[in-house]
Amino acid sequence: MTSASIGVRSDRPAELDLVRRLKDPALLLVPALAFLAFIYLLPLIDLIRISLSGPTWSSYFQRAFAIPLYWDSLVRTMQISVTVAGLCLLFGYPTALLIHRSRGIVQVLIATTIVLPYFIAILIRTYAWMVLLGRNGPVNKLLVSLGILSEPVQLLFNRGTVLLGMTAVLLPLMVLTIYSSVARLDQSLTRAALASGAGPLAAFWRVLLPLTLPGMGAGFLLVFVAAIGFFITPTLLGGPGDQMFAMHITQQADSVTSEGFLQALGVVLLTITLAVVAVAGRFLGFEFIWGGRKLTEATPKATERRAADVGRRSFGAWLADLIGWPLLRLFGRLPASCGTWTIRLMGGLVIAVLILPIIVVMIISFSSASYLTFPPPGFSLRWYEQFFSDSNWMRAFWTSLIVAAMSAGIAIVLGTSAALGIVRSRIRGKSAIMLLLVSPIIVPPVVLGLSLYSLFLRFDLVGSVFGLAAAHAIGGLPIVVVILSAALQGVDTRLEQAAAVHGASSLTVFRLVTLPAIMPGLAAATFFAFLHSFDELVLTLFLSSAQLKTLPLMLWGDINYRLNPVLAVVSTLEVLLVVAGLILARPVLATSRKAA
Amino acid sequence: MGEPAALRAMRSGDASARMSLTGRLRERDAIGSSIAVREAVKTYGSFHAVDRISIDIEPGEFITLLGPSGSGKTTLLNLVAGFQSLDSGEILVDGRPVHNVPTHKRGFGMVFQSYALFPNMTVSQNVAFPLRMAGVDRATADRRVAETLEIMRLTEHATKSPSQMSGGQQQRVAIARAIVKRPKVVLMDEPLSALDRRLRESIQIEIRDLHQTIGSTILFVTHDQGEALTMSDRIAVLNAGRIVQIGRPLDIYRHPTDRFVASFVGESNLIEAEILQKRGSTLTMKNRAGYVFSAESRDTIDVGRATVLVRPERIAVSNEAAANSAPISVTSAIFLGEILRIEARMEGGEPLLIRCTDMANRPLPAVGDRLHVSWGAADCWVLA
Repeated sequence: MTSASIGVRSDRPAELDLVRRLKDPALLLVPALAFLAFIYLLPLIDLIRISLSGPTWSSYFQRAFAIPLYWDSLVRTMQISVTVAGLCLLFGYPTALLIHRSRGIVQVLIATTIVLPYFIAILIRTYAWMVLLGRNGPVNKLLVSLGILSEPVQLLFNRGTVLLGMTAVLLPLMVLTIYSSVARLDQSLTRAALASGAGPLAAFWRVLLPLTLPGMGAGFLLVFVAAIGFFITPTLLGGPGDQMFAMHITQQADSVTSEGFLQALGVVLLTITLAVVAVAGRFLGFEFIWGGRKLTEATPKATERRAADVGRRSFGAWLADLIGWPLLRLFGRLPASCGTWTIRLMGGLVIAVLILPIIVVMIISFSSASYLTFPPPGFSLRWYEQFFSDSNWMRAFWTSLIVAAMSAGIAIVLGTSAALGIVRSRIRGKSAIMLLLVSPIIVPPVVLGLSLYSLFLRFDLVGSVFGLAAAHAIGGLPIVVVILSAALQGVDTRLEQAAAVHGASSLTVFRLVTLPAIMPGLAAATFFAFLHSFDELVLTLFLSSAQLKTLPLMLWGDINYRLNPVLAVVSTLEVLLVVAGLILARPVLATSRKAA
Repeated sequence: MGEPAALRAMRSGDASARMSLTGRLRERDAIGSSIAVREAVKTYGSFHAVDRISIDIEPGEFITLLGPSGSGKTTLLNLVAGFQSLDSGEILVDGRPVHNVPTHKRGFGMVFQSYALFPNMTVSQNVAFPLRMAGVDRATADRRVAETLEIMRLTEHATKSPSQMSGGQQQRVAIARAIVKRPKVVLMDEPLSALDRRLRESIQIEIRDLHQTIGSTILFVTHDQGEALTMSDRIAVLNAGRIVQIGRPLDIYRHPTDRFVASFVGESNLIEAEILQKRGSTLTMKNRAGYVFSAESRDTIDVGRATVLVRPERIAVSNEAAANSAPISVTSAIFLGEILRIEARMEGGEPLLIRCTDMANRPLPAVGDRLHVSWGAADCWVLA
């Protein structure tokens, strides 16, 4: 941490050096790193230790893979994850282009339909699909009324619904990742291609596609990594033949006999995830995880790699020509508007898949029927009354609010300090530190939950509000760090210098210049950290007790037990919360963009 | 490049405005501090941004740090401001070391290239900022802010937000903020480079007049040599982390110490010539084209070869050959308004740049035209 002071000839009094060292912004990283070391790294290391603690180091792993069930499930998990990532890419790319090409209010609307679901809990979005595809759901009704089916059939609980549900849940992630790489492109590049005589298709094939390839890669891998650890959606939408790897861990979590064996399963999942991320990071740069640009200046290593890139690219271009040109010539016969219509069609489909389930659930929450049916026979507020008068729901609601507020508080304090440390210090290894701070995003929540469970048992934190809030803050911290580092990088340091030179002390500079400038980011980060905790289910499954129930936990219990419109009420309230948050954040985000 | 003359004219035309400006400030509230930089060193890895620079700045002096980008001028300014800390050496203000004093306690004013106005404050709040930080009471502060806004002709903009103003207005607000406290030292970091040419010239004059009025020591950083020549009492030319030459604008322009200064400040012809003989202080020299001319020498040089600086505007051009003239052939001629800029080659192929006033009733020289040039001993400056 004292790398900044190395090499300074010290002809100054010693206490001055000490003061300078204490003022080193790198020290601001300490709280967050200490927090993560205790509640995140330590449990993960412990998890690995337990998994290796059998008679021989590999005995638990051998036991796991001796049972065909687990091997099959691992293969299945990979298949499902690759398929989902592929589907997301196929439908996500046109959608990203659609957002990019539309203008004005249309663009805002389309972007909102993508972003809104992104912030709604996975549990609720999965529930919406259960409603949509249920026996009395709108899809069955539609098919029957069209005469395709003679009577409602079971559409749920098969591989298809798992793929559909997971794709729908993960699509926004893909669209936003690709969109950020499309939006970063210089508009004039496509125009230059067109002006040079390339048709729209050729311009797409030789300019747009190659330049957005890193974005596509990042999106594919992010979705893939998220899918590997998926647990909620396959549990609710899949049948017995669709068990994913993460599900085994939760199913066995309660049995004491599986100590060691269970950890070994977790380590397998963790290893696969980290291996994929490591390989991806090698090619794309680890910034793909948080969708940011490099924090440090380009290293010599990066330029070396660029030289290697050229070779790979020219081979890629040769291959693209070989396959592409005959195809292009073929498609070139089609009218030019075909491309536009393909994008509109696929984008439209994506928007429908993302927004329809939410709308259906919101309508059903006002249903007067005592069971789930769509369209509702009549409208009433009876389910809202039931929700607000049920002390169990209310208690869970308040618990969630308190936990989320505490968790957001922890994440904001630690995350802001860490972001200041990472942006303002001259510490070496910034990328590695950033990677560590952001890494909780990619660790499968199931693995994190399992590792935290033993830590919480040891320190008697299971069922404590503070413990749960701290656990949620592990995931909230990366959100805060990413948003605030970006915000801090956008702060004009000359404004701070201007304040300092005209007499403001460091604290005054922070209060009067830095804080107002990062306020929008701070507000957004607070909201997202709050939402992260408010929606969190998987860690909560491991760490809560009978006395401590959060809203998602109650929902989870009810969805598995009986599907009723009270769940739709909770979902509607959540959607309203997210919408309100986004509306509140909008002007703030808009001004921040203008300032930058 | 012709700017000084034009500006002198503008300045004399603006005299009445300046008088009223001076009149409004009855006395010099602040007299500048002396600044001394001793053996200042700042390195980044193996890069010597500031390499043992020493400079003495008189109280109330307007001194310009001039140099290309990467020459260390901005680093030196940042060291004086306290944004960066010295690796070694010291900085004294009025004889007291300040290099360990935090920026906010140095009591300077500063104008930034990017204006650096606080976007969350109005114009008057921005200007009041240094007073607020100094704990000046509200009534006094209000009065001082109003006074300063008036000087900078910003009174009607007091309640605006900086983003509602034009670049020139924003820069005047930034200047107002820098001088509102009547600081003994005002630092200016390329304050005019974001403005368009016309605005730049008028604010140059405004800053120059302001300096006369408030008497602060001004340390001004620029890469624009015209700006440096117009505004400064003295110019320090920097290159590669060192001060190459320091002196009055006229001396820097007429008597540069080396090729770098000669070519960075103003346009120049650097002519390699052989010394034929030395008689008294006059050298007789011959260049590669065989043109023989005389030059006033400094005592150190008497034999061998030397580089001679001939400013393009000191070269006389004529259509006819004369006794002491050399033929040239025109490679380009550009009409710039009041002057002509002619590029040509001498017989040895040596390029020559000429700036001459527009010649009445004469057509613009065409490419390939043969002309005859000459210069006298007083028009040359022999470089070391």
